[in-house]
This record gives sequence, C-alpha cells and structure tokens, in this order.
Amino acid sequence: MGTLAYRESQPGKQSEMCVLSQPTNLARIAEFVGSQARRAGLDEDAVYDIQMAVDEACTNSMNHAYEGQGDGLVSVCCYEDETDFVVSVTDHGRAFDPGTVPEPRLNAPLEEREIGGLGLYLMRKLVDRIEFSSDKMLGNRVVMRKHRKVRPSGCQSPE
Amino acid sequence: MAVTTTHLKRCDLIALEGRYDSSTAPEMEAALRAAMDAGVFRIVLDMGKVDYFGSAAIRVLVMAFKECRRWNRGDVRLANVPSRVQHVLELAGISPLVTTFDEVVLAVGSF
Repeated sequence: MGTLAYRESQPGKQSEMCVLSQPTNLARIAEFVGSQARRAGLDEDAVYDIQMAVDEACTNSMNHAYEGQGDGLVSVCCYEDETDFVVSVTDHGRAFDPGTVPEPRLNAPLEEREIGGLGLYLMRKLVDRIEFSSDKMLGNRVVMRKHRKVRPSGCQSPE
Repeated sequence: MAVTTTHLKRCDLIALEGRYDSSTAPEMEAALRAAMDAGVFRIVLDMGKVDYFGSAAIRVLVMAFKECRRWNRGDVRLANVPSRVQHVLELAGISPLVTTFDEVVLAVGSF
C-alpha cells in the first residue's frame, strides 16, 4: 500500500508524509526524510542518522502502537528552524511511555543479550534531541532534532 | 534488497545487498535459518553492499551469533562492513562480540 498523502510546501516550511502502518512503507519514508534532510543542509552522515532514528520510530509505531495491524496511520512531518532539522513521527495507536522500556544491556555477554529496547536506545544516540509525548487527541508523538550547520552571521558575504 | 547464499567447502557465504529494516530483515533471517537448518554453523556475511542495517537486522544478527556459537560449533563472521553500519554496530554494543574482516577471502579463510 503506497503513500496516502504527501504535502510539500515552500522550502523552510513543513512537508508531511502519511502512510499506512505497514513496514513495507519504511523505505519510502527513509527516502522522503533523506531528501528533506539534504535540502535542509545536513551532511550525509547526519542524513543517515536522522533517517535511521525515524525508521526506528516508525517501526515502533507500526509494531508496538498498532501492534502489527497494518491499517493505522503513521504521519512523518519534516521542517527546519534556525538551528535544527526537525522530524516528528505521529501515530494514534496504543499509548506509549518510553520510560517503561528498559535500557538494553550493551555490556552483557552475547548469551544474555535481550535485544528489546535497542531501537529506542539507537534513536536517542542518533539525534541531538528527542522528545516523546502521548495524548488522547494528538496521539503518540516523537520529535527528533538534528543540528544544522548554520553559517555564522558574521561571515555573510557583502552585498 | 537481495540475499545470495554460496556454499563453500568450509562455510556458507551469504552476501547481503540493499536495505535491511523491519520489513526486509526477515529475508536475511530466512537465509541464515536455511544455512543453520542444513547444519552449517560457519557463516560469513558479506556486508559490502548493505545500504542500511536497522535494529531489526541487528536482532537477527544476534540470534545467529547465539545459535552458531552454541557448543563451539561455529561462528558468524562479517566482511566488508560499511563504515555507517560499523558505527551502528558500535552504538549497539555489538562490535566487541564480532570478528570482522576487510575482505571476504580473509573471512572465509579464517574458518
């Protein structure tokens, strides 16, 4: 099932993609976020980081919030402000409290590795700032920020 | 996204290509599972053409490590790991557990 809605506005404004909660849509989301991040001036390493964080956020929405049911909606919204490229991922599935997910034990021997919680852990590592909210009306929302390299104001070329 | 398995004398070589997220990681799992079900526990993963390796793929990798190393019967070794994938394996605390090689021939020869 393809993209349900796609809205693109002027550079600097927000663009949004809305898909059904089916993991086959993850590649399409990565492409969308990648093109928006490049347009916001992120370098390729930063583009990869934000794509991966968004991929993990959407995977959580699909597999946990919607419990693997493919008929929910996941909305991915990209915009930029003065300092950051920002992506929000919103779903209207089961409420989610990231505080209840234990941190993965990254130093444990292989036999004792429980890989639950790894996606969440990677999301936190890959972006500069992350916020979670859960609201009956607004749904579950993850907002992730990656710093843009902003040109110092003193370096502008003379007109 | 493509998974190609080659049966060698001392191990199986599984070449991964493309994007491994939660929708495509099951195909990688199926290839590993097929090797292990056939009694092959010495496996080289050629990662050279992997564009993306998410937590679902890391989960599959850890499953394969556990199963292949049981009773010292084998191992999964990685070759040609792209730097971005390497970075994620480091973040996930996987790299200290893995033996990686710059070339497939070295990984295959290590068995």
